[in-house]
Amino acid sequence: MNPLSKMLIVGALLMLAGCAEAPKRYDYAHFRIEAPRSILIVPVTNKSVDVNAPDYFLATIATPLAERGYYVFPVNMVKSVLSDDGLSDANLVHAGDPLRLGELFGADAVMYISIERWDARYAVLSTAVTVELTYTIKSAHTGQELWSNHQRVVYQPQANGGGIGGLLANAIVAAIAKAAPNYMPLAHQANNGAINIKGTGLPAGPYDGLFGKDTSDY
Amino acid sequence: MTLRVFLMAPILVASLAGCVTNHQRYDWGSYDPSLYAYYKDPAKAAEFAESLAAIISTADSHHTQIPPGICAEYGYLQLQEGKNSAAVELFKQEETLWPESKVFMDRMIKVASTPTAQSSTK
Repeated sequence: MNPLSKMLIVGALLMLAGCAEAPKRYDYAHFRIEAPRSILIVPVTNKSVDVNAPDYFLATIATPLAERGYYVFPVNMVKSVLSDDGLSDANLVHAGDPLRLGELFGADAVMYISIERWDARYAVLSTAVTVELTYTIKSAHTGQELWSNHQRVVYQPQANGGGIGGLLANAIVAAIAKAAPNYMPLAHQANNGAINIKGTGLPAGPYDGLFGKDTSDY
Repeated sequence: MTLRVFLMAPILVASLAGCVTNHQRYDWGSYDPSLYAYYKDPAKAAEFAESLAAIISTADSHHTQIPPGICAEYGYLQLQEGKNSAAVELFKQEETLWPESKVFMDRMIKVASTPTAQSSTK
């Protein structure tokens, strides 16, 4: 075998390995029985110290779910209506009955998201920005858990170049990342990793041509 | 050798494509960033409303589907402004476009059409 084809094979294997972060296929049995058409995203619970994280995250999750082919209830309106009904506490909503939410909104399924981490930690000339999330979908008809996924995305900015100059540049980059961490790209990346990966992500929704036809992948 | 490379290239492309299914179904305009900006600064409700209106008019002029939730979201901002009849129209539009929203929209149309509810819904 010549070097070029060897390189190509190694490249292909690396890419496959890169995709198959979570090779264990999710069990879609319950999901397939319900085949939800609509998803209600309820306010996000927060285990981080950043009080704004749940709202900021909410601004990232509707589009990828709708793009997957589901009807997604208007997230900001749902949040406000729940709040008007005395349900502004996300923890209470998560602990509540998904059937009741289903009745109120006419939703097939409810998506619960928990922020596990949303922070920028400084450690020796570098800052690691971490976003860690748990996603769960429950049936609004039976309360049964239909799907869940866990994502952890870390961004560690590094300046290029070595020596004293490089160290200094790294320290500056780290300080900037610590002072004004940008979580949004990480949240988008986490959502993509949760929803769009074959074998662990969400099967195509009713507005996708593959609805009900992608059982070999999901 | 060339044959082998030819055989490998589609595998590489296929393995890349296998990672993500990422085609755009709808034109979201600036939905994500303007909702984010609104949460960052609640004074930016008007800008958020403008971005929703822009999504609707772009879809109308391109004869494409308005994304799910957009008419409802825009209608709700109208309701908060006290523009109840505009809100009702938008809730009806959401319901027509997306039958999945019927239960919720019917409920909101009722809220927006009830004179006593108007005052309590800000």
